[in-house]
Amino acid sequence: MPNILKPVAAALLLAASSGLHAEQAPESIDLSTFPAKAIDNVVVPVPSEVFLVLDKLGNPNWRGELRESLGRQSGNRAQVALLLGTVIAEGFVAVEAEDPERVKDIGRRVLALSKAINVEKAVLERSKSITDKADIKDWKSVRKEFDGALHDVKNAMQELGDDDLAQLVSVGGWIRGTEVLTSIVRKSYTPDGAELLHQPALLNYFSRKLETLSNKRLASDDLVARIRKMLAAIRPLIGDEDGAEIPPENVKKIHQLTRDIVVSITTQEA
Amino acid sequence: MKRLLTAFLIALAFATAFAYVDDALSFAHEAALPYVKKGFSVREDAWGGDLGVKDQQAVQAQLFKGNEYWFCLGTDVKGAVLTVNVYDSKGSLVNAETTHSGRLTAVRILPQKTGSYYAIVTVHKSSQERTGWALVYAYK
Repeated sequence: MPNILKPVAAALLLAASSGLHAEQAPESIDLSTFPAKAIDNVVVPVPSEVFLVLDKLGNPNWRGELRESLGRQSGNRAQVALLLGTVIAEGFVAVEAEDPERVKDIGRRVLALSKAINVEKAVLERSKSITDKADIKDWKSVRKEFDGALHDVKNAMQELGDDDLAQLVSVGGWIRGTEVLTSIVRKSYTPDGAELLHQPALLNYFSRKLETLSNKRLASDDLVARIRKMLAAIRPLIGDEDGAEIPPENVKKIHQLTRDIVVSITTQEA
Repeated sequence: MKRLLTAFLIALAFATAFAYVDDALSFAHEAALPYVKKGFSVREDAWGGDLGVKDQQAVQAQLFKGNEYWFCLGTDVKGAVLTVNVYDSKGSLVNAETTHSGRLTAVRILPQKTGSYYAIVTVHKSSQERTGWALVYAYK
């Protein structure tokens, strides 16, 4: 990890040695001294964390953002994992749109895709619960079930030793979530809306994960290679500094990049 | 027989390790409970492990301006003193409010900018050599 975190330890040691109360947090720390080994992986947000802010900023037409088709699945495991990520992200869009039939359809599709990569058992209960809660329009609970489905699928994959596939599920979800975010922001641009795209740590994290896939077949997959290029292309468009303004043309470019990849993920043939 | 005994010991070690994390996680979820009642959603993902006294662990998170967050920390060691403090990418403390009760600690964040943040867990005091901890976060 970057030098950015190294100074944390030094600053905290200084605080302790200068007689401050052990539990009092320093007002500022030099992050570059924090030891790299003490940094956990980046927490990947779920799409609803971004969607909630969009709801606060305006009144997006969520129904208009729903895809007509959830995509075709091929025999390629990388494509299935990426597609599963996009479908779960679609679930969050359908919750925002408060469309019970679409939500139930997505819940069933999550189950079918999970079956294709042998993690069906992990999401069986979630899928049923998504249907039950969509029927009574308990949207907060449905949102929680989609978060849970994502968590359970990734855990099940990791337990099977398929950590690489689990990463692809996360990446697929992030790409579809970003496609929706940019679609909404470019239709009604505000600097605050565009600022939601400033996610440098996530982009670096995904790039690092896709560059170090241990499964050679997945690492050389065409779709994965294209996603690596897409992440590299997005990085300069999201601003270096926190709070930096992201102009409308960058939002449009990011939208095109993510939309193209979503099309590739969802239309790939076996 | 020797193989069976080895397998049993491995299984026992795994069971103990999971119990260790599960206890801290239960407390982290308990710390989040008051905020769930206030309309926050708790993420299913959780982070945890064990640390020695004075050790620290940072969890990097992407937070969005416009949302409100509570980072909730739990520990499995009675009497242990742990803190979680959140810093922005420039190293400035962004805790808006902190609560502490027994094994539960929570900190509220109202991000002024969208970007990377660091939740730093510290074990200040503990009767144990290693102290189990778990962290979850809730957003609204």
